Amino acid sequence: MRRRAMILASAASAAAILGGWQLGNAETTTTVPATTAAGATSSSGATTGMTGASSNGTSGTGSTQSSATSGAASSTGSTSSSGATDGTYTGSTVSTRFGDVQVQVTISGGAITDVTPLQLTDHDGRSVSISNRAAPMLREEVLQAQSASISMISGATYTSAAYLQSLQAALDQAGF
Amino acid sequence: MARAGAVEAGAVEAGAAPLPPGVFRAMGTVVSVRPGVTGPQADAAVAAVATVFARWEARCSLFDPESELSRVGRRELALPDASEDVREAYALALHWRDATDGAFTPHRGDGMIDLNGVVKALAVEEAGTALDRAGFVRWAIDAGGDVLVAAALAPGSTQPAWPVGIVDPVDRGRLLARIDLDGARRRAVATSGSAERGDHIWTMPGLGPSPFLQVSVAAADLVTADVLATAVVAGGPAALDDLAERHDVDVLAVLRDGQLLATPGWPRAQPASAAGAGSPGGSGNRPISPMAS
Repeated sequence: MRRRAMILASAASAAAILGGWQLGNAETTTTVPATTAAGATSSSGATTGMTGASSNGTSGTGSTQSSATSGAASSTGSTSSSGATDGTYTGSTVSTRFGDVQVQVTISGGAITDVTPLQLTDHDGRSVSISNRAAPMLREEVLQAQSASISMISGATYTSAAYLQSLQAALDQAGF
Repeated sequence: MARAGAVEAGAVEAGAAPLPPGVFRAMGTVVSVRPGVTGPQADAAVAAVATVFARWEARCSLFDPESELSRVGRRELALPDASEDVREAYALALHWRDATDGAFTPHRGDGMIDLNGVVKALAVEEAGTALDRAGFVRWAIDAGGDVLVAAALAPGSTQPAWPVGIVDPVDRGRLLARIDLDGARRRAVATSGSAERGDHIWTMPGLGPSPFLQVSVAAADLVTADVLATAVVAGGPAALDDLAERHDVDVLAVLRDGQLLATPGWPRAQPASAAGAGSPGGSGNRPISPMAS
């Protein structure tokens, strides 16, 4: 059990680091175990270099509770010689400079195969998206505006002088 | 050092052209009100919104030398002695300064406190609350491009979304995109940039001119949308990625060369059919011709 806890602890801290990496603000360069990196669902695109925020979760985060374990994990957890019991485990919440991260770790064949961030909250306790990076978009891809259906216009702030030539003025006159 | 665009003094021209019904001038720009009803009630709604704006202007306009904030700037009034409106707006601006790592700040280079970055959005939000209390259920307010719509009547209700057009900064007579505000997770959209007033947003030290011509942010509330649009213009692509990941927002940014960047949630057109060669760029960006009055 203690061994499993240690594995989960390292997984949690790796995931926390990974979460920091996904958030994209490098402070310290950290090497992430390849197994963890392979299983991470990162949507941040082609980022090179595993840099991550140094988390304070690199130790003492081993107090994991097994959650809804998938498949082979048993609650008694007969540990194989190779390490932890297969299954899915929910790690404890780890604090990073971006907020709190909680991860789910999948262990298969004694190795970590997947680390999924379950939650990330900002310092006000609201949940935060960790996959909201901007990507190039073609003009043909944007949702086009049919003028007849538009009721309001958002543009860089116009002065009242500019308003009289603006689309908003046309809509106001038309009474949309 | 980013801040929201300051309104030019004298932006309200003498003898300016009359405005359509439901429209009034405030804060150096123009506010359009859609009360969702017609007749005398509509006039009452517009008057209620105008009253809220007038109060915020008296408090925080730097172009009115007698406003509280102007007096604070001249050291005639200590900030702790200012009205609750001013103090809370300042506290809110400081909160956002911290939340954007300084990309948004109420502190001007000359030492003045400039609350334009939050005051317009606060005024719209408060005006919306006033309309709610007065019983208006399907209103929308557009203050110089900052749009807020009424909350949907009930979660999951099937009332139609508000379609909002995003101006093309390269050709301001055209629309670049559309975003539909659902009245819940997306009640507000704000656009910031340098298309209208020149480079009115100071960028972060060392960044030079913003790589963004225009940035639109859709959010659940207008203060968030407005502040983050300004902060992204000021902070560049790094701020865009960072802030979009920390907040529940959709962002559409126009780079100086006309290219677009969008977060995954920004609404997209249906994928072009495999048969077609794709629509030519710019199709559908139809100009609206002002109607003859």
